[in-house]
Amino acid sequence: MNRFVIAEASKCIGCRTCEIACAVAHPVGSGAQALSPQTFSPRLTVVRSGSVTAPILCRHCDDAPCARACPNNAISQTGDSVQIDQSRCIGCKTCVVACPYGAMTVVSVPAQAQPGSFLTSLRPRAEARKCDLCVGRAEGPACIPACPTKALHLIDQETMAATLRRRQEQAVQNLAASVTL
Amino acid sequence: MKKVITVCPYCGSGCKINLLVKDNKVVGAEAANGVTNQGELCLKGYYGWDFLNDTKLLTPRLKRPMIRRQKGGELEAVSWDEAIEFASSRLKAIKEKYGPDSIMLTGSSRGTGNESNYVAQKFARAVIGTNNIDCCARVCHGPSVAGLMQTLGNGAMSNSIVEIEDTKCILVFGYNAADSHPIVARRLIKAKEKGAKIIVCDPRYIETARLADLFLPLKNGSNMALVNAFANVLISENLYKQDFVARYAEGFEEYKAMVAKYTPEYTAEITGLDPQLVRDAIRMYAAAPSATILWGMGVTQWGQAVDVVKGLSSLATITGNLARPNVGVGPVRGQNNVQGACDMGALPNTLPGYYYVTDAAAREKFAKAWGVPSIPAEKGYGLTDVPHKIAEGKLKANYIFGEDPLQTEPDLGMVRREFEKLELIIVQDIFMTKTAMIADVIFPATSWGEHENVFSSADRGFQRCYKAIDPPADFDVKDDWEIHSMMARAMGYPMQYNNAQEIWDELRGLCDLYTGATWDKMADLGYVQWPCPTEDHPGTPWLYEGNKFDTPSGKAQLFAAEWRAPLEKVDADYPLGLCTVREVGHYSCRSMTGNCSALQTLADEPGFVQIHPEDAKTYGVKDQALVWVSSRRGKVITRANLNDRVNKGAVYMTYQWWIGACNELTVDHLDPVSKTPEYKFSAVKVEAIADQKWAETHVQNEYGKMKADMRKAAQA
Repeated sequence: MNRFVIAEASKCIGCRTCEIACAVAHPVGSGAQALSPQTFSPRLTVVRSGSVTAPILCRHCDDAPCARACPNNAISQTGDSVQIDQSRCIGCKTCVVACPYGAMTVVSVPAQAQPGSFLTSLRPRAEARKCDLCVGRAEGPACIPACPTKALHLIDQETMAATLRRRQEQAVQNLAASVTL
Repeated sequence: MKKVITVCPYCGSGCKINLLVKDNKVVGAEAANGVTNQGELCLKGYYGWDFLNDTKLLTPRLKRPMIRRQKGGELEAVSWDEAIEFASSRLKAIKEKYGPDSIMLTGSSRGTGNESNYVAQKFARAVIGTNNIDCCARVCHGPSVAGLMQTLGNGAMSNSIVEIEDTKCILVFGYNAADSHPIVARRLIKAKEKGAKIIVCDPRYIETARLADLFLPLKNGSNMALVNAFANVLISENLYKQDFVARYAEGFEEYKAMVAKYTPEYTAEITGLDPQLVRDAIRMYAAAPSATILWGMGVTQWGQAVDVVKGLSSLATITGNLARPNVGVGPVRGQNNVQGACDMGALPNTLPGYYYVTDAAAREKFAKAWGVPSIPAEKGYGLTDVPHKIAEGKLKANYIFGEDPLQTEPDLGMVRREFEKLELIIVQDIFMTKTAMIADVIFPATSWGEHENVFSSADRGFQRCYKAIDPPADFDVKDDWEIHSMMARAMGYPMQYNNAQEIWDELRGLCDLYTGATWDKMADLGYVQWPCPTEDHPGTPWLYEGNKFDTPSGKAQLFAAEWRAPLEKVDADYPLGLCTVREVGHYSCRSMTGNCSALQTLADEPGFVQIHPEDAKTYGVKDQALVWVSSRRGKVITRANLNDRVNKGAVYMTYQWWIGACNELTVDHLDPVSKTPEYKFSAVKVEAIADQKWAETHVQNEYGKMKADMRKAAQA
């Protein structure tokens, strides 16, 4: 089972601390100081709609529509998550359309000059972006500890099993109380 | 890398932070395990420190003293000696010519601390000889201070932030915790998880409304009618605690008579609320074994504000929700140290420790301690009196400390016109601001992080901020209390302190409420809530033990008043009610948060006007489009935010923007007692702009020009 981060909407206050934590954990330059409206592209987005407020982010689907949709095999199952190989991204945005959560974005990033290749064009290039579970960050996803109301949770096999068990126990209690034939 | 303990300089929640410091530079912030924040911070706490590095994203730090030799001339950088001489000689001349009451001063409710507020008011009272000192409590929780001092005896939260999660019912009235105090909003969520009932009274469907068991979307400007209706139901349905009222309260018969006609049916037209909903809500409040009322600017920024505060206080009183844990009245203070500025007597009617200036014995005690023959006995001017007293020719000088009135006061056009008539404006700040731009003297101060100090959080908690860094090497800045002391000495009064602790020890010796709050008790994560009368006293998380209220009679005072409509009426020309509100990532006039990369990235000029989609359709306004918003006083450009969580007929703007400056529009109508402006209701219209390309360019040009002007002035 793929791991994923999910928000408990009942705890979200819409403060967007998670968005900054995410942007800082995926720095364009050096941390929070390099953030600007041009470089700000957090991989989760706080959405307010009707009576619900919560950050929306990649569910790391086990059969991911974005991966199936990508014409250039840039998105793939990697370990227990879905990851993007930016070197293969062509910015076609098919994945953006395919994702049922609206968790994918394609952004234009300024090209970095490679050492010794100053003659190559410095056209901006496209990158598909979504939650990568902060792979490589020892402490795990940055959004989770930053949330002041602890609305974000990492779901893995173990927590999923515990949640299932809790639900089943609750269901059996309800059954005992309500069903007589 | 070292970690330095401080308190967040943004809201009144009192969150403890560890600043990460490397080579005399702050490089990060971590949540510390403070009493109120329990190891959590919001975005301002985590990402609100890089202004210290003079990022110049919005406006530059003030690095050296400056003077303007002639009105209309340029600012000029000078030495401290010259700046002090220039300012003090002029202030002295004005005092001699027009008298001490021709001078206005402010405290600062922001990053500077309690010691400097104490010194600023001592400078006003002992050196200038006036009670003309005030702080921005005037424009925020002034009505809570005035109202609660009368009804219960203390102008502050009766109970603690930590207790909110253990109350069984929370009545949230005109208080948007998610945007104002995320760390208090966290307690509301915890309370809900622990089974508390939540009732929200607000015209907008705010985040807390999502948690609410009952949501009362009252019409803007109907607070008093709803509070009276609550009281009416409590009395007519006999839901109040008769024994508690009989033994510990006064004024019940008048109170009962006043609310008699305010049945939920009678008030339905005023409030727009279903009478059954009103009954259900107050029954829920009355039925709870413990209940807490929290309120914010939705109660206080009205022409009728003190009355509503007293009304809310009376609801808590007659239901016996006072004088024990997990109950009470909670005016949650907005600015990080607005409680502290009030505690220190940066108010025109009280000395440090809330002794009234009319109290002869208190005046004598302070006069003796300060070595002056007497302290003026008459209440001074409030912040919102200032433009009017200039117009009357009574005020000639304004010494503004850590505030930006040309951004934050109502009806800015009027304020600018009046400020121009002043003979002397002194601004003491850390950033170039709109007000500093018109100053005759600028005193550059050390910032939060560059000095040590004590703050008071919203629930009366004293906490220490340690000094994290020295100001950058090329800055010639001084601690605020040192600047006031230099001015005092130049004016012939011996004022000399070596550090913040010396000041703290002087003031706690003079104030019975704070005497036991020693420097050591506040060390590290220490939290001391006043009253703390003796050194062996632990401080007071909740007030009025034994049902003894700090009123002259020792009893809680009950109070209701007739409802008054907001001053301005909407009409065909100005059909919408403008209400000014908060933006979660920005603070006060935004000189600090606007210079923080992450925070200014989330929200920048020209801000937003929140409008209901149906109203937007009526006025031809599209989401995210630039629009004109105008009132009888001014016209500004801002961006439309179509939002179905706001009510029809009202629009909402936040007050920190320079371009989308809603205070160009707001009306200067004041509560008669607290003199707090009616920021929550001004008649406006919203107009679409056909040429969006022109509008976008216009905003960028105007913003760019303002930033460039400030940079140029600061670097003179």
